[in-house]
Amino acid sequence: MSMFRKKRLFTILIGIIILVALIGFSLKDRANLSTGEQFVSDVIGMAQNVISIPIKYVTNIFSNVDDIRNTYDENQVLREKLAEYKGLIYEVQEIKEENEELRSLVDKADSLRAYNPIHATVTARSPERWIEQVTINKGELAGVKENMAVITADGMVGKIQSASQLTSTVQLLTGFDEFNRISATISRDEGNDIFGLIEEYDKETDSLLFKIIEESDKELKEGELVVSSGMGGIFPAGLPIGTVKEVIPDQYGLTRTALVEPAANMYEINHVVVVERLIDGEEGEEE
Amino acid sequence: MRHIFLPLILLLLVVMEGVALDILPSGLIDSDLMITPHWVLMFLVLVAIFYDRRNSYHSIIYAMIFGLLIDIAYTGILGVYMFTYGVVIYIIHELRNMLHSNIYSVLLFGIISIIISDLIINLIYYVVGIMDAAWMDYAMYRLLPSILANSIFLLILYPLLAKQLEKWKNSGIK
Repeated sequence: MSMFRKKRLFTILIGIIILVALIGFSLKDRANLSTGEQFVSDVIGMAQNVISIPIKYVTNIFSNVDDIRNTYDENQVLREKLAEYKGLIYEVQEIKEENEELRSLVDKADSLRAYNPIHATVTARSPERWIEQVTINKGELAGVKENMAVITADGMVGKIQSASQLTSTVQLLTGFDEFNRISATISRDEGNDIFGLIEEYDKETDSLLFKIIEESDKELKEGELVVSSGMGGIFPAGLPIGTVKEVIPDQYGLTRTALVEPAANMYEINHVVVVERLIDGEEGEEE
Repeated sequence: MRHIFLPLILLLLVVMEGVALDILPSGLIDSDLMITPHWVLMFLVLVAIFYDRRNSYHSIIYAMIFGLLIDIAYTGILGVYMFTYGVVIYIIHELRNMLHSNIYSVLLFGIISIIISDLIINLIYYVVGIMDAAWMDYAMYRLLPSILANSIFLLILYPLLAKQLEKWKNSGIK
């Protein structure tokens, strides 16, 4: 019996050693997933592709019923908005043409704003709630690489955490920590733009912390739009991130931090666009 | 034939966990409650109680393999679910002879396994620095709702699979 006890103790000890080794291995900064991990995530990803279609279909029916109830009110609001947009579209078109003309004048074809969209569908969400990540059905074969920005129609939702051949995992904005900073800006008239860094997601206030580097004399207002600035070298410029909810001074009173509410809903993501920046980071920094 | 069914069902459950949160109404997910599906564990409890013999350890081996799959597919931090599921199923495997196996004892073992596994998983994540909630909040917002939701899943699974597992177990005697 004591022989058996010893064996059991021994097994548990070996188990704990393996656990610590594996955690250490997966937490260190890895450039790429190992082949085994890529294979497993591809196989599971393919199965998820198949299964998510009928389940999404059924859940869509329920949400459609919900939508229909609000349709009339929404329709009224949208009609009004549409009338406003008609004028705006004309204006945007003019500005775009002018922009192109000016660009050709100064011989500068690329811009930080240019990107190449890769369309993808969300097939799964991590059941472990501390880890905010979803799986999408496009991988390295489709050109997805690590650290690319991921957006929906509403705005930015996250970045590619790791890519295997056929699938990749997206780290959502709600899971961003201090290691994932986004260089961001609030656009103002006459070069009074406010620059700063999105530092991390704060769970208590449910908002992103936007640390302002360059102080502006003008007060920040609620509801102002924060967009990516493209100065970080990875994301293109002009992706909407969120709106300012509140401005608080930091603990020393030297800088101010804006609480930014993400523009996109992190819980109802179905179709996303992976954004491949056309200018490489290195080139972007030289400019 | 019976050797193929168990891994297939387990793989299906691993895949289903990824879309589990889509099934819940979004209001429930948007709120503070953090319901975590442990469907693979629930099925493994059934396997440990009805399929394994005193000296066979299929459930523990499956627990480690499919725990590792969950780690790779959903968290990226290897070993956490593998270790936890392995330990918990081993405990259930040892405890199961204390009670006659019926739906009440299965439910009890299921709840015990969720509590132990969720605590170990969160303890590891706490040490690593991924989880940073207060333990009281954790118990109210995550542990209790998860126990409820997974118990319901176990109650659905029990009538479907308990008899079948016993049949597979006995078909191996010949």
